[in-house]
Amino acid sequence: MFKKKDKSGYLTIKESRKIIKYNIKQMRYYENEKKKKVDPSAYITKMKDPNNLIEIDNLQTHFFTDNGTVKSVNGVSFNIPKNKIIGVVGESGCGKSVTSLSIMQLVQAPQGQVVGGEIRFNSDDLSLDEEENKLAYNIVKMPTKEMYKIRGKDITMIFQEPMTSLNPVFTVGYQLDEVTFVHYPEKTKEEAKNHSIEMLKQVGISMPERVYKSYPHELSGGMRQRVMIAMALSGDPKLIIADEPTTALDVTIQAQILDLLKNIQKRTKCSIMLITHDLGVIAEMADEVVVMYAGKVIEKGTVREIFHDPKHPYTIGLQKSKPLITSNTDEPLYSIPGQVPNPINMPNTCFFKSRCNKCIKKCSNKYPSEVKLTDTHVVSCYLYEKEGE
Amino acid sequence: MTNEKKESEYKDSFDLNLPPNPNYILEVRHLKKYFPLETNVFGKPKAYLHAVDDISFGIEKGKTIGIVGESGCGKTTLGRTILRLYDITDGKVFFEGEDVAKMKTKELRKKRVDMQLIFQDPYSSLPPRMTVGQIISEAVKVHHIVPKEKVSEHVKEIMRKCGLREQYFDRYPHEFSGGQRQRICIARALAVNPKLVICDEPVSALDVSIQAQIINLLKELQKEMGLTYIFISHDLSVVKYITDKIAVMYLGNMMEIGNTKEIFSEPLHPYTQALFSAVPVPDPDEKMNRIILEGDIPSPANPPSGCKFHTRCSKCMEVCKVECPKFIHYKDDHYVACHLYDEYMLMKNKELEEQKKLQDLPLKEESKKDEEKD
Repeated sequence: MFKKKDKSGYLTIKESRKIIKYNIKQMRYYENEKKKKVDPSAYITKMKDPNNLIEIDNLQTHFFTDNGTVKSVNGVSFNIPKNKIIGVVGESGCGKSVTSLSIMQLVQAPQGQVVGGEIRFNSDDLSLDEEENKLAYNIVKMPTKEMYKIRGKDITMIFQEPMTSLNPVFTVGYQLDEVTFVHYPEKTKEEAKNHSIEMLKQVGISMPERVYKSYPHELSGGMRQRVMIAMALSGDPKLIIADEPTTALDVTIQAQILDLLKNIQKRTKCSIMLITHDLGVIAEMADEVVVMYAGKVIEKGTVREIFHDPKHPYTIGLQKSKPLITSNTDEPLYSIPGQVPNPINMPNTCFFKSRCNKCIKKCSNKYPSEVKLTDTHVVSCYLYEKEGE
Repeated sequence: MTNEKKESEYKDSFDLNLPPNPNYILEVRHLKKYFPLETNVFGKPKAYLHAVDDISFGIEKGKTIGIVGESGCGKTTLGRTILRLYDITDGKVFFEGEDVAKMKTKELRKKRVDMQLIFQDPYSSLPPRMTVGQIISEAVKVHHIVPKEKVSEHVKEIMRKCGLREQYFDRYPHEFSGGQRQRICIARALAVNPKLVICDEPVSALDVSIQAQIINLLKELQKEMGLTYIFISHDLSVVKYITDKIAVMYLGNMMEIGNTKEIFSEPLHPYTQALFSAVPVPDPDEKMNRIILEGDIPSPANPPSGCKFHTRCSKCMEVCKVECPKFIHYKDDHYVACHLYDEYMLMKNKELEEQKKLQDLPLKEESKKDEEKD
């Protein structure tokens, strides 16, 4: 019994060749799609709700690897309202970073391709149509050239590792000016410098002139992250995607950076999509939370709903498995048994089934659909489907 | 007067000339580790980096001590210096009554069987070309822990204890996920039946749900095998859960040490207070009075004078800039290195502040005028 199971993990040469052939075909198709000249009408759609900044609808991002297709993001839908902080939580490999990269059109090509779904971006450049619907860009279908205008200006990103995302051979000032030149080509050198120094001041750097002239290695981790935030702010963005902005930092510096992000959000009235695996950070920062597991959204709702009344067994388990600094128990921690399943050849049932402690008979049916508990609280689990029916 | 008495009490327990305390399995006394920074023409070091500067503590058998602090404060160096992976600059480390600092290489090799290390990154600390069985059994064979015929049996027993299946014996590390790899690392450390295990951030590279599994495993193994842990971590909630005693480090100095419960209910040092308040709590309605420290850690190569924390401290006094604080006994096992709890230093501070006022008066008035102008 065991031996059979073990062998299924390996591929024969025949299978492997088949996969590679399929991959090449798929990758060529999607790459050609991107290069085609597209009429603006193809990528302009309507927003469902004009108060949302981003609407992600059934997004599918796949990676064509030599071992098979990895469905990193497998039908994710959620909205980012204007002037709100959205927290995305999940374990590593659950697709939270890939979702954000899909919004930026930065998925590692040609292996990674957005194969389906829509990402609607509510841009100020577009007005209302005849029926008074707000027009929006569909980022999935947008050609790369058009994307240049949005990426880095309206939608910016703060990466996890401030060390690796700054270029070590250029000064901080040069890199900051570059952003300004790309988005405001009419600006002179002097203006760009003033703008960059202003941005550095905004992120709480006490000696912006000195930092402007220094190289990234001369700065500490917290300072580098501040520079990254300054760079993200310099295009006056509507959405900041912060991909684990504090994971590489110490607790005391983390507190500083989170405080800064919160202040910036309040001041500039932009939205922030905060990606992290730390539930504490989410609880403190976010207004709404999206919990992801194996490429799917399993639960979403406001912070209070998710933290005081979690519904999905995975969300409950995740919260129980972290020791609290405020509690004084000696009991063993609750731990979710097993591991995240292999992303290739996912079962057709609920992905959490094998690790779930509340599994019922229904769970062996196909993947559970989303159940609305309140207006904002949505969960996909069979446990709650009964009540809805 | 009372303070001097307290100081002397403290000094007595960790004096270098005293024989080792039989209550402790590991006792660290005034441990120092300096790294040379620059050398002059003759190869003599000009400046030193004080990575671990005068640290003393002791642990009883079967207990866990947590070492917390920000990155670059010398936690890892401390752990490695205790094992003498780095040579000790000064001070003593007593392990079961023997001074590790004075041991010769051969003796040390034997002693290291009892002291094992679990590394932070389970991805880079396992040799990719060895099978799990080879990795775990290597040390067992080298140190002749069990007779040759029984090695594989012993290894499988350890693997079972650490939650690894017997079938994994012939597999390679790349076939495992992060959590499983950390289990292999733990199995490797425990295969030689150690008494002391230094866990250097064993869970920080893992996901939350896997973290809980590893923490539970470490706790179970401690009960089963009577292990003593030194738990190095920057994750305070984990440290609180697993430890009996906590030592807070900052820039190579010990700031505060005490029983976990006591230190969390009554953090004395301003740094400890700030550190604890900075931990985000997963409850949206919990509003903590957060103390946000300004600035970054100063460079350890060029530490500030006096108390090393005074540049970021919210309760900084004049005396802090001049005098290096001594460890003060506060309660039972609770020691703190801060002038705020030292009556003698508070007196001295008053004098200093008065002096400073007299000196600064003309200066301050000028600066005020400048500010008004701006």
